[in-house]
Amino acid sequence: MSDLEAFRARAAAWLEAMAPLYGKAAGEGLSEAEDLALARRYQKAKFDAGYAGINWPGEFGGQGLGHLEKVVFDTEEMKHGFPGFYFGISLGMPIPVLMQFGQDKAWVKERVLKALQGEEIWCQLFSEPSGGSDLAGLRTRAEPDGNGWKINGQKLWTSWAQYSDYGVIVVRTDPNVPKHKGLTYFWVDMKAPGVTVRPIKLVGGDSHVNEVFFDDVKISDDQRMSPVGGGFAVAIATLMIERYVATDSAGFGPHLDLFVDLAKDTDLNGRPAIEDARIRQQIARNYAMRSALQSITARAMAMMQAGMTPGPEGSLNKLVAVRSRQKLSELAIDLKGNNGFHFNPHASQKEDWAASWINAPTGRIAGGSDETLLNTIAEKILGLPQDHRPDKGIPFNQIPA
Amino acid sequence: MSILYDEGQEAIARESRRVLEARVSKEAMLSLLESVGRYDEGFWATAKEQGWTALSLPEAYGGLDLGLVELGLIAHQAGRSLSGAPFLTAGFGVAKAIALYGSDDQKAAWLAGLASGETIGAVAFAEGANALPARPALTLAAGGLEGRVSGVAGGLAAEVALVFAQGPDGPVLAIADLAEAERSAIESFDNSRVYADLVFAGTQAERLLAGEAAREAALHILALQAVITAHEQTGGAEALMEIARDYAVTRKAFGQPIGAFQSIKHRIAELYALVELARANCIHAASREGKDDFITAAAAARISATEAYDTAARDCVQIHGGIGVTWELGLHLHTRRARSLAIEQGPLFFWEDVLVESLRGEAA
Repeated sequence: MSDLEAFRARAAAWLEAMAPLYGKAAGEGLSEAEDLALARRYQKAKFDAGYAGINWPGEFGGQGLGHLEKVVFDTEEMKHGFPGFYFGISLGMPIPVLMQFGQDKAWVKERVLKALQGEEIWCQLFSEPSGGSDLAGLRTRAEPDGNGWKINGQKLWTSWAQYSDYGVIVVRTDPNVPKHKGLTYFWVDMKAPGVTVRPIKLVGGDSHVNEVFFDDVKISDDQRMSPVGGGFAVAIATLMIERYVATDSAGFGPHLDLFVDLAKDTDLNGRPAIEDARIRQQIARNYAMRSALQSITARAMAMMQAGMTPGPEGSLNKLVAVRSRQKLSELAIDLKGNNGFHFNPHASQKEDWAASWINAPTGRIAGGSDETLLNTIAEKILGLPQDHRPDKGIPFNQIPA
Repeated sequence: MSILYDEGQEAIARESRRVLEARVSKEAMLSLLESVGRYDEGFWATAKEQGWTALSLPEAYGGLDLGLVELGLIAHQAGRSLSGAPFLTAGFGVAKAIALYGSDDQKAAWLAGLASGETIGAVAFAEGANALPARPALTLAAGGLEGRVSGVAGGLAAEVALVFAQGPDGPVLAIADLAEAERSAIESFDNSRVYADLVFAGTQAERLLAGEAAREAALHILALQAVITAHEQTGGAEALMEIARDYAVTRKAFGQPIGAFQSIKHRIAELYALVELARANCIHAASREGKDDFITAAAAARISATEAYDTAARDCVQIHGGIGVTWELGLHLHTRRARSLAIEQGPLFFWEDVLVESLRGEAA
């Protein structure tokens, strides 16, 4: 057995042992506060067992292993429905950026250790009402204030801001230069005076995203994590941190086996739906698509293991998997017919077709919309030209609103 | 688990691409479209000279003992350059059937010729959309092979055919010498595939297998061929995606390259996705030969490659506008080949059914 396979076996055994304590069944029927408390305990257990910060340096409490081990662990972990998502953003982006760009190393280490043990949560304050895909179009501003800065404006779609202790933020420090050049990157204390967090209820009924208001929020200059005007580069570095994360060819919706089972058990015109050609075609096409994504992932893993850089086709997973999950979920509800009206807003998106369907649009928008991904593929992989951009090279404050 | 190509395999891909790009001419292929009964002799000569016909056959009979992965790489390049004659895939299928299910005498009689490419083989299983009919159109009895089988790829030029026929006790898989078969050429939208209807009247044929084993073996041979054809389709789709991209960055309209319009660039990005999914399934399927899930993997490769090539053929022409439908530009060579390859080895109806039946069993 290779080292990696030994690691996988060890991790799988540990996760198996933790499942009764923290897994899907343990989380059933809990309020969100109880669920968060459970998640914090699970995160602490991971830290104690040596499965937190797997690919982070030992000096920050990590395990000093490779990216591959991290992906392997995450893939195994996904099977049990652990309540990990409160820390997904926190440990995925803000904390790695903090390790890379934070100024006060002792303070940084303290924060990293607390975040790794689930005691503190960080959020990422990027999107705004006027700029999501167009990140550099953001309007929240920081103005010099004594030796520090004063922030005013509004952020939007900030995941888990309601539970966050700290956040990283990109703001405009100079409106007189073209939009990418007037941005600066800071960290902020989410409990500071002037910060107001308001959860936003989404269509599926949950409220993991928020709008965050900044009214004369004062910060010191040592909270700055980029040169003044150099914030965009750090923001992009943030987005590039985990290019190869654990993926799911089901688009984080139900596995195809569940659809096959449904088609076998459902009567359509007096025979099992799986004998209906329309259903068969969808099953076959979905299987082909998902098996291709799995093959791409397997090859990427093998390349990383061989010390090579995986190809850009890894970027296809989100685009292809989520939109097909959306359609397959509609089809599953069709199959249930008038037995398909039931809806449980707390059902798992990986097991319940209605929950998968109602939440699928979020997956096609958050973290790079389908259209943004297509632009990225066209421009970065295929060398096609950028869209016409009327705001290019124009000072931010002269862009027509 | 999928594979990474090793250095030898990379070299096969590189070298076959170099050779084909140097030797294939669009003009020659355009002229082949307008005559019935001619195939790409240049390609076939190259295939023999380069050892592609022998590539994945046993060493004992003049083969090179490589596998589906290597033959797939050649097929991918053939698809890119539109150059394939149908015999590379079918010759492999016939030889593989004899190697797997034939007697020593049968192996000695046929394999060396198939490996050198001196003998051209064809596979004649299909009846319309049924790639492997429940009741085959041909019958094999004591008096020989009887009946008519339609639309056999390479049928006009082949000397030997692998047939699926009705025997006294169920289906049989057999080898038929085509010397005495009556052939009629089909005027087709892709004439260099030399499609023919074959009529047998007491033709001599040797049985390889009978009963359920014959059906299973025929499906296995079809799946092997489907994986090779899927590589060829993926190569064609990849070429079209690149042609579309190259055109979109040079052709200007409304003061900018048309590739700056999202209606164009997103269409090409979608093609990239289809090509990469097809490639991933092809690589996976080629690496699963001999494993339990081979048929499923082959079906998945076939489905995504057919989808990729057909879509690329539609969209690449659309992106070109009027110039795309001219005879001279030749995009229609791909449009035609996308359809002929979509039918050879069975249409998607067949492979979708194969795939679902296998999943249905698994998920039980």
